[in-house]
Amino acid sequence: MRYLDTDGYPWPSRTRRIPLTIRGTIFLEEAEILEHRAYPAEQYIVTVSAPEAARHATPGSFAHIRCDPGIPLRRPLSIMRAERASGRLQFLYKPVGAGLAALATREPGERISVLAPIGRGFEPDPARPRILAVGGGVGIPPIVFLAEDLRERAGLELMVMMGSEVPFPFDLVPATRAIDGVPETASQSLALFEQWGIESRLASGAGLAGCFDGFVTDLANGWLRASTKQELARTQIVSCGPEPMLRATAELAYAYDLPCQVAVEEYMACGVGGCAGCTLEVHGANGAAMKRVCVDGPVFDVRSIYAKPSIGS
Amino acid sequence: MNPLAIDFCGLKLDSPIVLLSGCVGFGEEYTRVAGFSNTDAGAIVLKGTTLAPRLGNAPHRVWETPAGMLNAIGLQNPGVDHVIREILPKLDFDETRFIANVCGSTVEEYAEVTRRFDDSPIDAMEINISCPNVREGGVAFGNYPGMSAQVVAACRAVTRKPLIVKLSPNQTDIAANARACVDAGADAFAVINTLMGMAIDPETRQPIIGNIQGGLSGPAIRPIALLKVHQVYEEVRRDGTPIIGQGGIETADDALTFLLAGSATVGVGTALFYDPLAAKKINAGLASYLDSHGLGSVAELVGALDSGDALDVPASG
Repeated sequence: MRYLDTDGYPWPSRTRRIPLTIRGTIFLEEAEILEHRAYPAEQYIVTVSAPEAARHATPGSFAHIRCDPGIPLRRPLSIMRAERASGRLQFLYKPVGAGLAALATREPGERISVLAPIGRGFEPDPARPRILAVGGGVGIPPIVFLAEDLRERAGLELMVMMGSEVPFPFDLVPATRAIDGVPETASQSLALFEQWGIESRLASGAGLAGCFDGFVTDLANGWLRASTKQELARTQIVSCGPEPMLRATAELAYAYDLPCQVAVEEYMACGVGGCAGCTLEVHGANGAAMKRVCVDGPVFDVRSIYAKPSIGS
Repeated sequence: MNPLAIDFCGLKLDSPIVLLSGCVGFGEEYTRVAGFSNTDAGAIVLKGTTLAPRLGNAPHRVWETPAGMLNAIGLQNPGVDHVIREILPKLDFDETRFIANVCGSTVEEYAEVTRRFDDSPIDAMEINISCPNVREGGVAFGNYPGMSAQVVAACRAVTRKPLIVKLSPNQTDIAANARACVDAGADAFAVINTLMGMAIDPETRQPIIGNIQGGLSGPAIRPIALLKVHQVYEEVRRDGTPIIGQGGIETADDALTFLLAGSATVGVGTALFYDPLAAKKINAGLASYLDSHGLGSVAELVGALDSGDALDVPASG
């Protein structure tokens, strides 16, 4: 453990020593690509070997990946699965931009530089065991990670709702139970989640079979509307997805008076808090501040990002 | 004796590598990366600091470009008093030398920030008269030798700690500006700051950077930086004023070229973003070069450019 000196204000002295907790918490690994699969509509799932990152990752944390030596900046990708025993990390992405397009060409056996895990992940409130997890598009991965992480916690009721405009890159199975407030048209769930004993339902505006026809936040709204007051008092929301979806999630959080944490994205350079390039304006008790998405986030309290919608909006 | 040790305007540095302002926060951020150590750098320049706190620019603040990137952070910082009271006491001054980066909107602000840092454990001050990303101050002072000299003289009057002037490449005659700054009391130079640039999204027809313009850094600017170092070195070598050469340095070979062009130390910034352990690798590469060329000290390389019979490079342009 390294220490810093804080005594003898304002000069450093060597007497009182406090652990430097941030030191050595992010790992740089030359990760071998173990599997790289393409799915419909330009979706890819890549699995790499990065044992240190896999051991320390938490749901909501991300990896900063050097997609190709010729691409100047790394690209942040949310971690979808982290298997401590095997040291594997898994990511889902769409090849948007030069960096991720280069990553899509990398093959099993090749190595990529992975800097991970980075960021403060989801910290669900233990006083609210009923968790609604809403994921959209490339915001799905951290929701999968959270669900897998929480699946064996006793006393939790997890409801996962996912939205996508393209076919889900996962195996789907018919849902086995009816859920209050969820239309029968939303008849499919994720096979993986069924295995884990976690309820999940899907939404799509693209007419995908077995999916609720509309926004995932409208699907979530139906479920919340059907919840009792007592249930809502035990409910919280976690979410990750495109900005309009997060905004709609914020409206749900305000409307039902629920705590809500969201994972956000921003263009990023260093990924370790050094450059302040990825900041987001947040509002707290002390007014506005610019917070770094990489190390202050990527998970934020939704109320610090989105103001309460005015009545009638 | 450590062959990489070098004297930089009175500061004893354990390595010629300087981690650059704006890239490493306030000195602790990169220690998050396992294997990274502040001891790998001879000095670390902290984030640009103003008298009052600044929120900085609206997003987006960074954008990748060919062999580089644009940034327009806008001097986000908590203000000099917070830096001195809350941040400096948490830095380990046994690990490396810490240099403050001083910014302002007026000559008086530069002088006041410098005065406050003078009364702190900071090892030296870098006067940033070349930040391209704020409306007032910054590069407005750096583009005119007379204005630059005014800022330097005002800062010089309030400190005896080393004053490093960070020069802009966005000016007609960088050597003339360096001359004015030496005459006003500058102890050293940082050459160069970023070049001004822009990016546009053809779909939205909007500028990508929130500030519209940003500073270009990375390997794309390396040849420009190398020439500017050469030009400034030719101007100030007779004064013995040392230079931190910076601009796209990522390998030991890059560092060697800057040393040969006349910089006593080499800055590493953008390279950290893709290679957080770059400083360690450059140190190893420099040590190996010294060894294989039978040199005892990195200082022997500074300005050791062999121009042969080549024509003099024009001092400006």
